Amino acid sequence: MKLMPKKSLAVLAAAALAAVTLLSGCGGDAQAGGTGAKLALDAPLPTEVPDGVKIVVGDPATQVAFKLSGQLDKVSKYTTFANLSGGPQTTEAFRAHALDLGSVAEIPSIHATWTGLHVKIVASKFRLDPINHPIYELGVAPGVQVKTLADLRGKKIAYSPGQAQGALVLKVLKKAGLTKEDVKLVELPSTGDIYPNALAAKQVDVAPIGGVSIKRYLTKYGKDGGTTIQHGLRDDAGHLYGPTESLEDAGKAAAIRAYVAAWGVAQDWIDKHPKEWIEGYYVKDQGLTEADGQWLVDNAGHPDISGDWSDAIKRQQETIELLAKETGKPVIQAKDLYDLRFQTVASDAIKAAAK
Amino acid sequence: MTQLAIPGIRTGEREQRAVAQPLRRRRRLGPGKQLKFGAALGPILLLVIWSIGSATGVLDPRVLSAPWTVVTTTGDLIADGRLQSNLWTSAQRAFAGLGIGVLLGTVLALFSGLSRLGEAILDGPIQIKRAIPSLALLPLLILWLGIGESMKITTITLGVFVPIYIHTHNGLRTIDSRYVELAETVGLSRWEFIRWVVLPGALPGFLLGLRFAVTAAWLSLVVVEQINSTSGIGYMMELARTYGQTDIIIVGLVLYGALGLLSDGVVRLVQRRTLSWRRTLAD
Repeated sequence: MKLMPKKSLAVLAAAALAAVTLLSGCGGDAQAGGTGAKLALDAPLPTEVPDGVKIVVGDPATQVAFKLSGQLDKVSKYTTFANLSGGPQTTEAFRAHALDLGSVAEIPSIHATWTGLHVKIVASKFRLDPINHPIYELGVAPGVQVKTLADLRGKKIAYSPGQAQGALVLKVLKKAGLTKEDVKLVELPSTGDIYPNALAAKQVDVAPIGGVSIKRYLTKYGKDGGTTIQHGLRDDAGHLYGPTESLEDAGKAAAIRAYVAAWGVAQDWIDKHPKEWIEGYYVKDQGLTEADGQWLVDNAGHPDISGDWSDAIKRQQETIELLAKETGKPVIQAKDLYDLRFQTVASDAIKAAAK
Repeated sequence: MTQLAIPGIRTGEREQRAVAQPLRRRRRLGPGKQLKFGAALGPILLLVIWSIGSATGVLDPRVLSAPWTVVTTTGDLIADGRLQSNLWTSAQRAFAGLGIGVLLGTVLALFSGLSRLGEAILDGPIQIKRAIPSLALLPLLILWLGIGESMKITTITLGVFVPIYIHTHNGLRTIDSRYVELAETVGLSRWEFIRWVVLPGALPGFLLGLRFAVTAAWLSLVVVEQINSTSGIGYMMELARTYGQTDIIIVGLVLYGALGLLSDGVVRLVQRRTLSWRRTLAD
């Protein structure tokens, strides 16, 4: 009998290949589930969350706040948390139908719309006295002289299109009366510690750095001459946004409404319990030191969650027009990005909880 | 040059020399006996260079933390339990992916190695997969499998099965045809042939593939743990990147190095045990 290559093995091989394909094809994690009932985007929001409805939310910081304030069990009835945040990751997950809500800044909702993904903003958070409590500062590389925004002329600036940091650079140039031709924009995505490192290695002269990176950059490279300057603009927008398909499901829309209300109360709790927040989030969850946490809390100032979005929409429209001009994309209407049915949900919940 | 006395050729000069002095020993051409703890020598040398560089200030601590900083940071991470819990999660993912990947790679290598049609169907796609980096596949895998655990384990599996497949397939195809003919002569059935000839014959290749695979499993972890994880070594490093904590990143790297070296050592041990029948340059 012949032992070498044979047809029956090939059949087995094909079967195995098919099995593998099948196995990997049914691995989608079906954590989320709505009721399937359609809801028009202008119909009033249902206030009761039906049993068995689950939304997937990418909002890691608020998840910790729920845990610390003892609200987690209540919220977990209709929420599964995913550890995703920021534009690129959340839009990717929206496309995979793996996420219903994400926590981002001003730019991702605009970019998602430009890439053909339909999203709506359902909650917004700003900072009181935003000019003195910016999220970002402009980091200046050691040995580079930048004292005012006018000094940016001719400098190499890190620019990340599609991220808040990128839009901020464009706004700063506009404020300084410079165009893109007056400086050298170096395209560099801002993830992890790329910007502080690029500054330290003198690959760029100026880069927007945010949060605890500011403090670390100054302590690490201040002695070499690394500095930061304030940009004096508002960069404080924080939004919850989700794909419209989730809002068109009656069950999910109810769950999103409930989540937004709980989210508002949680932001208020964070503001009123800085000690617990530093200990529970910055130290335990994020592995920072107490001093870092204190610095972040001091710099964040106090949240401003308003029941009136008209100013926010106006500011976002300005951002859209600036970005559209710089990137050659069409101008879209900021008011279409906001789901106005949610305008007062978070602020009303904070008021109700305070009683 | 050593002169060898060649019997049967008589030249007066040689004759005299051969009588005057005993024969020189033959020159050794193999690498010779194994050094004691030879495997540890290279890494220790690296560590020594690193320490000297840090102590003399040649290495800027902001760019590369000193070895002792790494040790104290490791201590801190162990004290608050972050290291163990992250390591445990990562290990579970790596082993799950490794297990599935090894099985898949072996089975596919058998199909492709023993059947011409199987090879025609399977080999091409696998070579294509080999040319595509896992990192580049990730966006697609997220679209297909979502952001949960199944996506992570699939990514690791894909990184693992390719080296297993390539080396097992190669080992299988290089089995001496004498053995195949012998098996045909004594009338082995197909399964007996696989059991007694193919598997043992492909074992050296399979084990080499496994050495690549164990490190590939650990390497894939960093890639997948950047997406929707709340635990794992990759996540710990990514979080530290966000906050510019270089020392934690290096702890992660050292851990990866140690895990890779350790798993590689285990496979080599298995290699020595199971392939003891081989008489090769290595012994």
